[in-house]
Amino acid sequence: MSKSKNGYRRVSGDAVEYEVFARKARVDPLHLVGSVVAPDADLAMAYARATYDEERWCEMAIVRKADVIRLWSPGEQ
Amino acid sequence: MSLSDLVLSLADNKQMLGLRYAEWATRAPSLEADIAAAAMGLDDLGHSRVLYGCLEPLGYDPRTPARESDPATIRNLAYFDEPWTEWSQFVAANAVLDTAFTAVIEACVNGSVEVLRQRLRKMLMEERYHFLHGRSWLRSGIEGAPLLRAWQEALEFFGPPGSDVEGLSMGPEQMRTRLEEQLETKAPDVVIHWNLWDPLRRRAAEGAIDDHTFAMLRGLEEKKYAPPSAPPPARVR
Repeated sequence: MSKSKNGYRRVSGDAVEYEVFARKARVDPLHLVGSVVAPDADLAMAYARATYDEERWCEMAIVRKADVIRLWSPGEQ
Repeated sequence: MSLSDLVLSLADNKQMLGLRYAEWATRAPSLEADIAAAAMGLDDLGHSRVLYGCLEPLGYDPRTPARESDPATIRNLAYFDEPWTEWSQFVAANAVLDTAFTAVIEACVNGSVEVLRQRLRKMLMEERYHFLHGRSWLRSGIEGAPLLRAWQEALEFFGPPGSDVEGLSMGPEQMRTRLEEQLETKAPDVVIHWNLWDPLRRRAAEGAIDDHTFAMLRGLEEKKYAPPSAPPPARVR
């Protein structure tokens, strides 16, 4: 894990990207609202809540981006 | 030591914690941590407002006019007297002190005083994310000195053994156990000079917040940026 000039460890040294999903009402589908980078799920939850809490979501969830199974990606179909 | 005295100390500490968090909103190790510092700062400043608002319903407001002139009347822990210069100080406060304050809030929410049971409940939901943030950073490893100091001051904040405050569901010993459970570790061996402990400020150390922070609390810093030609604010009767 890398250290900054101030001596503390940086999050991004061995961090994982998490996708953040949320919805405003039960009838809405969950949709992607952004992503956060963190070394573990605890910190990712704290970051997701801090970063995307501007709106009144009734549900928010995070998923490791690496765990998303993509059938195809842009430009591959 | 009345419940109002404890609530005022909790409010002052939450206010100072929020200010110190906010000071790191552009200095944390990553953009996400910057945003989290700002968000947690806003949360804790909001919590302090709610706590100040509980004093009047509790029937006794210990705040005196001396709070406008004497920084030693602000009932904060010594940990917040000066701005933090190291990220490890932020993490130790976030993991240990913020969680210690949450233990006291839990004791209020589960206690017998209705105004605290109702008004403080929402804080526990917000504090969950402060805890996750602090615990994760703590696990990544920080220097020992700030951590030891945070533990010492957390135990001082809980108060001496047997000094239970009426209306709370937990006393100092139970709060200590709760903090240890949350952080999944035993409290370190620290020497607390209870003979020097101030029951109002809930600390053994002398001292007070720095002049700049005290001026900010009183709104004097804002006045520096007011236009020189601005008329004095109208009196509200």
